[in-house]
Amino acid sequence: MSKQPEKKEGDRRTFLKWAGGAVAVAAAVAVGYSLRGPPPPEIVTRTETVTTVAPTTPTIVLPGTVSERATAGAKALVDAGVVPRGTVLKLLHVAGSRAQLAPFIPEWKSKTGIDVELVTVGNEPDIFTKLMAEATAKTGIYDMATVFSTWMGDLVESGVVSNLDDYYRKYDPIGPPDVAPIEPLGSYTTMYKGKRYALDADADVYTLTYRKDLFENEDYKAEFRSKFGYDLKAPDTWEQAVDVASYFNGENLKAPDGEKVYGAFFYAEPTFAAYTTWITIFVSRGGILFSPKDMRSMVNSPEGVDALQLMVKITPYMHPEAVTGSWASLYQRYSEGKAAMAMAWPSLVKWAQDPATSKVVGLNLFAVVPGAKVTVGGQEQIVKAAINPVNWVGVVSNYSKYPEAAFLFLQWWTSPEIGYEVTPIKGIMDAYRANWFAEGSKERAHMELAYTPQFIDVFKESIASSFPDLMLPGAYEYLDKLNKTINAACAGTKDPKAGLDETAAAWEEITDRLGRDKLLEAWKATIPLYPREVQDVWKAKGYV
Amino acid sequence: MASTTERLAEWARRPKSFARLTTLPLNVVLNFVLIVPFGIMIFLAFTAWHPLAGVAWWQASVVGFPNFVKALSDARFLWALLRSIIFVGVVVPVEFLLGLAFALIFLGDFRAKKMFTSIVLYPMMVPWIVVGLAFFLMFQDYGPVNLILLKFLFGEERMISWFLNPALAFGTIMLADIWQWTPLMFLIIYSGLAAVPFRLIEAAKVLGASSSQILTRIQLPIIKSLLLVALIIRGLEAFKVFDTVYIMTGAGGPGTATETISAYIYKLAILYNNLSYAAAVSLMLMVMLAFVTRLAIRPLEVKPE
Repeated sequence: MSKQPEKKEGDRRTFLKWAGGAVAVAAAVAVGYSLRGPPPPEIVTRTETVTTVAPTTPTIVLPGTVSERATAGAKALVDAGVVPRGTVLKLLHVAGSRAQLAPFIPEWKSKTGIDVELVTVGNEPDIFTKLMAEATAKTGIYDMATVFSTWMGDLVESGVVSNLDDYYRKYDPIGPPDVAPIEPLGSYTTMYKGKRYALDADADVYTLTYRKDLFENEDYKAEFRSKFGYDLKAPDTWEQAVDVASYFNGENLKAPDGEKVYGAFFYAEPTFAAYTTWITIFVSRGGILFSPKDMRSMVNSPEGVDALQLMVKITPYMHPEAVTGSWASLYQRYSEGKAAMAMAWPSLVKWAQDPATSKVVGLNLFAVVPGAKVTVGGQEQIVKAAINPVNWVGVVSNYSKYPEAAFLFLQWWTSPEIGYEVTPIKGIMDAYRANWFAEGSKERAHMELAYTPQFIDVFKESIASSFPDLMLPGAYEYLDKLNKTINAACAGTKDPKAGLDETAAAWEEITDRLGRDKLLEAWKATIPLYPREVQDVWKAKGYV
Repeated sequence: MASTTERLAEWARRPKSFARLTTLPLNVVLNFVLIVPFGIMIFLAFTAWHPLAGVAWWQASVVGFPNFVKALSDARFLWALLRSIIFVGVVVPVEFLLGLAFALIFLGDFRAKKMFTSIVLYPMMVPWIVVGLAFFLMFQDYGPVNLILLKFLFGEERMISWFLNPALAFGTIMLADIWQWTPLMFLIIYSGLAAVPFRLIEAAKVLGASSSQILTRIQLPIIKSLLLVALIIRGLEAFKVFDTVYIMTGAGGPGTATETISAYIYKLAILYNNLSYAAAVSLMLMVMLAFVTRLAIRPLEVKPE
């Protein structure tokens, strides 16, 4: 009978246990050590005044244009040895903006001696998750990033982005008023609690894009009039949008590749854009996301339920990928000629007007997004309010070794001079500086080549009636829960009222977890940024 | 009297000590990467910490069991858990049966067997993310399934929006998993069956046993342990399904109708930054899985004679 190798096995096991045990004890001691003494407070109350203000007059220490100040500043940092020559700054960004970044880096490097490496991720939410992970890890792996302005609350409160007030004063990335980013977008997308944390790189106000050849077809116009009793045109209200979508959907038109032309494409997809459609309808009807009195969630108010019911009503007339696809599906399908109208970011125009990606070049018209008939002071009026969702901005990491150099690259890239070249390129950053819209300017002529003259006018008008995205800490979570409900309702798996009641309850839980008072403070600062007409409706309804 | 250095040198020369010394770095690293994060997870599960709390995680105060209590009444968590269980309950038996069928076919000799073996094993080598994308594209409204397969089956164009219907969307995710992981089952079962002594089968045949009797009374009982290990490994893997859900239904759409437990924990921890709750849910899940796995491996335990 052979002997079992008990001794050896036992020894090995004992050793493994011993080594594991030692580490476990060390870990336990470390955790215990961290628990010593009275527990620190969970929430740090910050005392900054919550206001979004117009930029103050900066103290300019360097002469020249915005881009010249940036390159001179960076060169000075290199010459002084603050930033070693050949330093590589890492910029975290999403794939959709690569074409607007990569071609400009060699010029920046030749002018300053500082290189920039693009760290590209495929999905927009990946930027958020990587930065929030960096907020905990604090590695300094990224020097800067392009982010949704919506995330500003989370990014600032988690401490991952730098306050840029000093750099703004020193280098003035805004420039004179005639070339400054359009207000109030330029301020509210870059500020949090009255301080600068970002540089504006975009303007994202939604517009309606529709097919000229369909809407101006005499036969369709006559048929539509006889069916609905009013003229076929870009819808003024969301109820009209349902009519138009149902009409074109029922015509069984064929796109250039033989597939069906659907009545519309409005976002209802599950990943992140469904809320943009809902909130546009909701706000135009006088809905408000939170009560400014106590931060109570109001997504399940009558306006919220109406908005979602309207989306459910229009869904059968939309391209199916409106519910199952991603944000990019709208760009692709509309440009393939498979939707009679669509509501999206301005960059849709660049896709739809480019023969490389579009079958509907020259067949597009634009309008301010549909609104709602509301009664204020006994008078009925149509209120139109367009969301400014996302609005990309550049931020500097709080853990970067060279934050000033990172700021200066972003300043250079978003300057009136370089941004003017960047913006018309097919990518996700859109026109955001005042002179690019100025009547008769060479800059406007340049923009018109990418966007069409009519769009520039409509975009300007849309910005005037725009409102900001949800810019609170926890915005991602709030909006994701709302997206899931909207998507489920449009897919027919959830009742709109019951779904929004659940969402409102989930929002209450988020608000309590993140700190009701802190969020209320931030929310109140957002309210003046809504269009005057919307605020009047809120007053009439007693919401504010 | 020997000096300290000499005593140390003598100790290090002993075979047992040498083994300990050479494996010490690896043991420390392995235990550190396993135990420390696990310790942090346990700690966070009993706090209410999140990155916006204004304090570092190690400064968070312990609040007790609210995260665990909340999970028990969190409908989204319970549904995600149920969905993951259903997922395992469907895909693992199907993969097992298909794997067994393939293994029986491949036990026989036929032309180009090596080539077909490679083809059958191919899906297993494809990254999950690619499988998710391929199935996502196949089941699009104007994808090949609608345009070719359904037309072939029904003789006319059918338009099914696979990802609009929760049951169909979940079905496509299951199909992707079955396509990818049946080869693993096939590989394990095939290698097990091939190792069954041929003389036993021959003897059974001589005694008049049918093929099904040979399979159920000789071949499968002999490789029972192997089958159990395959089922446990695949069951645990299937329970953690994430990539295909993320790609095919946007991590759980429509709404949260196809959200699995991994997708839900991912959202809690990474997207919502609700790390304490995510840690509590993960811990509960780990305990559940450990319990189920413990029960499952009981038949494998060799009892001392």
